[in-house]
Amino acid sequence: MSAAEDQAAVEKVLSGDHSAFEGIVRRWQGPLVNLAYRFCRDPSRAEEMAQEAFLPAYRSLSQWRREAAFSTWLFALATNLYRSELRRIPVRTVPLDDVMEPMEQPAIDVGLQAGDRDRAVRRLVFALPRKYREALILFYFHGMDVASTARSLALPVGTVKARLSRGREMLRSKLSQQLMPLQLRKEAR
Amino acid sequence: MRDDDLDRILSSQQEIIPSSGFVDAVMDAVRRESEAPPMPFPWNRALPGLFAACFTLVSVLVAAITPFTRGTPTRVLPTGLLSALDLILQAWQTIGGNWIALALIVSLASVKLSMRFVSGQVGW
Repeated sequence: MSAAEDQAAVEKVLSGDHSAFEGIVRRWQGPLVNLAYRFCRDPSRAEEMAQEAFLPAYRSLSQWRREAAFSTWLFALATNLYRSELRRIPVRTVPLDDVMEPMEQPAIDVGLQAGDRDRAVRRLVFALPRKYREALILFYFHGMDVASTARSLALPVGTVKARLSRGREMLRSKLSQQLMPLQLRKEAR
Repeated sequence: MRDDDLDRILSSQQEIIPSSGFVDAVMDAVRRESEAPPMPFPWNRALPGLFAACFTLVSVLVAAITPFTRGTPTRVLPTGLLSALDLILQAWQTIGGNWIALALIVSLASVKLSMRFVSGQVGW
């Protein structure tokens, strides 16, 4: 389904053919579930959140103005709902200052594996303060597109850039603190 | 760690596939929604508030108009535009117009904010 087909489906729904919404759900179920998953890291909760996002989208289809792509509108709506949902029932996160210890001790002489580092980075994203975490999550979800991220968060592009920069800085700082003991241990051998 | 490394790690997120019943579950909810009768406006709850608002408005208007209809012995009736403006300003101060304006602005802002939250902040 293309953007034109999205629009046609929306027009059908608005003219009373509610079954046309199924095409929209089929097209956008993957992105919306995966967006939710990036926010909560729980597959079953992500599905629930995405289901809960489609219903308000259906209710407010008439509010979509055609100047923006349907996907932009849908992601902004879903993002807003996900953020509200996670404020209501937050994901269990560890404060950034408490994420000090390496999560897995590397095997002797194996050293620091790339997988350890990747897991550490992803875990640290969830320990960031909410405003930096949300900006980072959406930035990478939107394929590193700052403008789309800004639209999803309903924030100016400059604010999003500042949050991304600060978020990355915090990530790098914490990551170096976290990985340093492992590297020192390896060098000491 | 460089930005490129962070970009690579954070871009390569695990993707999940929605379960097979996902579309049906959403469409069931949509069907229920479309078949449900529209929610009636809660007049029973709103009427007392509406009456109170009307009463307050009428009271304020009466309080604002009364001093001019009675007139004051020491005051000569103004003539000309400047006098009229002066009179309006005095009336404005008498009824605490600044506070009323502030209250109206705050009310309007809170209503707009609530509507933004309810509509999901998407207006484009």
